Amino acid sequence: MTGERTFQKFKRLISKKAFLLWLDSLKKDYKLIGPRYYRGNQAVFKEVDSSKELFMEYESAMLSPGKLFLYKPQEELFRFTFNETSNPPSPPFSKRGMGGFSSKKITVDEIKPDMAKQVIVGVHPCDVNAILYLDRTFLGAFKDPHYEARRKNTLIISLNCTHVGGNCFCSSVGAGPFLHSVGGYDVLLTDFESEYLVEIKSREAEELFGLEGRGAGRDEMRFKAEKEKAMQGKFRKTLNVSGLDNIFAENMEHPVWQQTAEEKCLSCSNCVMVCPTCFCYDLRDEMSMNLKTVTRYRCFDACLDIRFAEVHGGNFRQSRAARLRQFVAHKLDQTNQYGVFGTVGCGRCITWCPTGIDLTEIAEELRTKN
Amino acid sequence: MNKLRLGFFKYSCCMGCSYFFAYVHKQVPEVLASFDFVFIKLLSRKGTPEGPFDIALVEGAITEAWQVDELKMIREQSKKLFAIGSCAVIGGIPAIKATMPELEVEKRVYKNLSSIHSIKPHAVDTYVKVDGYIRGCPPAERDLYEALTAVLTGRKPDFPEYSVCIECKLKGNTCILIAENMPCMGPVTNAGCGALCPSMNRACYSCFGPMKQTNAPALAKKFKAMGISRDDVIRKFTEFGADTIEFRKAVETYED
Repeated sequence: MTGERTFQKFKRLISKKAFLLWLDSLKKDYKLIGPRYYRGNQAVFKEVDSSKELFMEYESAMLSPGKLFLYKPQEELFRFTFNETSNPPSPPFSKRGMGGFSSKKITVDEIKPDMAKQVIVGVHPCDVNAILYLDRTFLGAFKDPHYEARRKNTLIISLNCTHVGGNCFCSSVGAGPFLHSVGGYDVLLTDFESEYLVEIKSREAEELFGLEGRGAGRDEMRFKAEKEKAMQGKFRKTLNVSGLDNIFAENMEHPVWQQTAEEKCLSCSNCVMVCPTCFCYDLRDEMSMNLKTVTRYRCFDACLDIRFAEVHGGNFRQSRAARLRQFVAHKLDQTNQYGVFGTVGCGRCITWCPTGIDLTEIAEELRTKN
Repeated sequence: MNKLRLGFFKYSCCMGCSYFFAYVHKQVPEVLASFDFVFIKLLSRKGTPEGPFDIALVEGAITEAWQVDELKMIREQSKKLFAIGSCAVIGGIPAIKATMPELEVEKRVYKNLSSIHSIKPHAVDTYVKVDGYIRGCPPAERDLYEALTAVLTGRKPDFPEYSVCIECKLKGNTCILIAENMPCMGPVTNAGCGALCPSMNRACYSCFGPMKQTNAPALAKKFKAMGISRDDVIRKFTEFGADTIEFRKAVETYED
C-alpha cells in the first residue's frame, strides 16, 4: 500500500496449493487479477474466476498490470450536459464556436473514482518498480483521484522471477530479478519448487493472511539469496548505466537517431504503449450527435505520435528521429525528473517493436562512437 | 428551423459510404433532424446537385475528367467539404490500377475502348482542398460523427492521425505481428477502426490507408524477413494505398 513504511511481520513457507486456496478465499471481497496463459511463456493480466486459471510460471506479459488496473488505458473523467426544454438547438450556433451555449444551463456529472477492491497477483519485480514510478507521477505534488483510489484499494502480490527473458535487463538497472524495494507492495513471493516463500510487507496483507505454514529462517533466506545470484548470471542483455545522462545530452545530433529512424522506426508507438512506466495521457472530448452531452475521457498518449508535440503554429518534434530520441532519452536519461531511470529493464519495448529497435544498443552506440 | 444543407456526392466507388451514412442516419435520428438532405443519390432521386451546401461529403476516387469538373464546382459551392471513405481519401480500391499504365489496364478489362474515358485515379484532395478526412472502408462511425458535430457547432474537427497499434493496445490485445507472426499492417496504418481486425485475430490490411509520415519501407523489410513473397508484400501496400506517397515508397524500395 502506498505510504506504508517498512513493515515486515513474517516470512513463511506455504505450499503453493494452500496459497492458491487462500487467494480464492479473497474473492469474497476482492477482484482477483493475475496472469493468464496466452501462448508460449506469455501471459495476459486479466480478472480470473479462480486461482486455477493463473499461470504463475509466465515469463512476461505484453501489457503491465500497473497500466491495466491502476492507471487505465482509457477512462471517463466526467460528462457535461446542456439542459434544454426545447428541441435540439438550430445550427449553426455561433461563429465563436460554443459561445451560443453560454446562456443555457450546464450540468456536470463527475465520475467518482472506482473504489472496488482488487488484488493483483504474480506481479514481477520490474512491474512493481514500474508501479512505484507511476506513483511518482500520479501521487506526487498533485494526486490523481482516480489513480489514488485504485492504488489504495489494490493489494499487490509480487512474485520474484524464475526465468530471464531474452530482452530482460532489469539487473542492470536494479529493478529485478528479485524485488528489493522497501514499500509500495503487500506480499512478496519466491518460488521454492512446491512452496512459496511468503514475505508479508503491509499491515493490510497481514490482517488478511491467515495461513500458518512453516516459519522461514536463516537457511531459507540464504537459499533465496543463492537463487537470486544464480538468476543474475543468466542475463544475456545488459546496459551500462554509468554516466548515461551526459551521454544523451552530449549526443543530441548523433547519427544513430537519424539512422534508426530511417531504417527501422515506424513511429507506430508500440514501445510507448507496452512500456510500464510511460505515463503520458491525452484528454479527449466526444460530443453526442444530439449536441447535448459531451464526455471527457483520458487515454494513453504516445510521444512517437506525430501530433504529440504539435502546438498552435508548429510541431516541436516534426521528425521521426526527434520522436524516437524523446522516447529513448526519457527511459535512459532524465534521471533529474524523479531521481531514477525511466526504465525498469523489462525489455518490452524491444520485444514488441515490429522492427526490433533495441534501446540498449542505441545507448551502446552513443557510448562507443562518442 | 434553418437546417444545414447537406450534399453527398459519389464518384468511382462501391457506394458503401452512402450506404453507411444511410445506416447511421437511421440509427441516430438527430442526424436527420439537423440536416437537410439536398442531394444524396442513394436516398432520394429528387435531389438536386445545385448548391450552396453547408457540408459536402464526397465519396469515391476521381477516375474520369468530368468528375474533376463537377468536383471543382461542388467545392466552390460548399462551406465545408469532407472526403469520406478510403477511395476519396487516398484513392482506395480504384487506385489499385495506379501502378500500371492506363492503357494496359483498360485493355485488360474491355475489348472495345471507344467508350472508355478514364484517367489516372487520384484522391479527392489531389483536385480540391478538403476540410477533413473521414477515413476507412467502410468509414469510421466516430469520424463521421466528428465531422457532422464539428460542422454543427462550428469547430475544427479532430481526426486521429496515429497508428492502429495505439488503438489495438488500448483495447488490451496482444500484438499479433510479434506473437503470432502475422503480416499485420497496423504499425503503418492510420487509426479510426478501433483495431477491428487485430481484435478478431486477423492481420490489419490497411483499409484506412497510411498514417501520416509513416515508414512503410521498414515494415516491408520486416515482412520480407518474415518470409513473405515479393508479390505479396507489394499487394499489401497497393491494395488501398497504391496512390499514396507513403506506400509507394515501400513498393519502390522493395523492387531494387
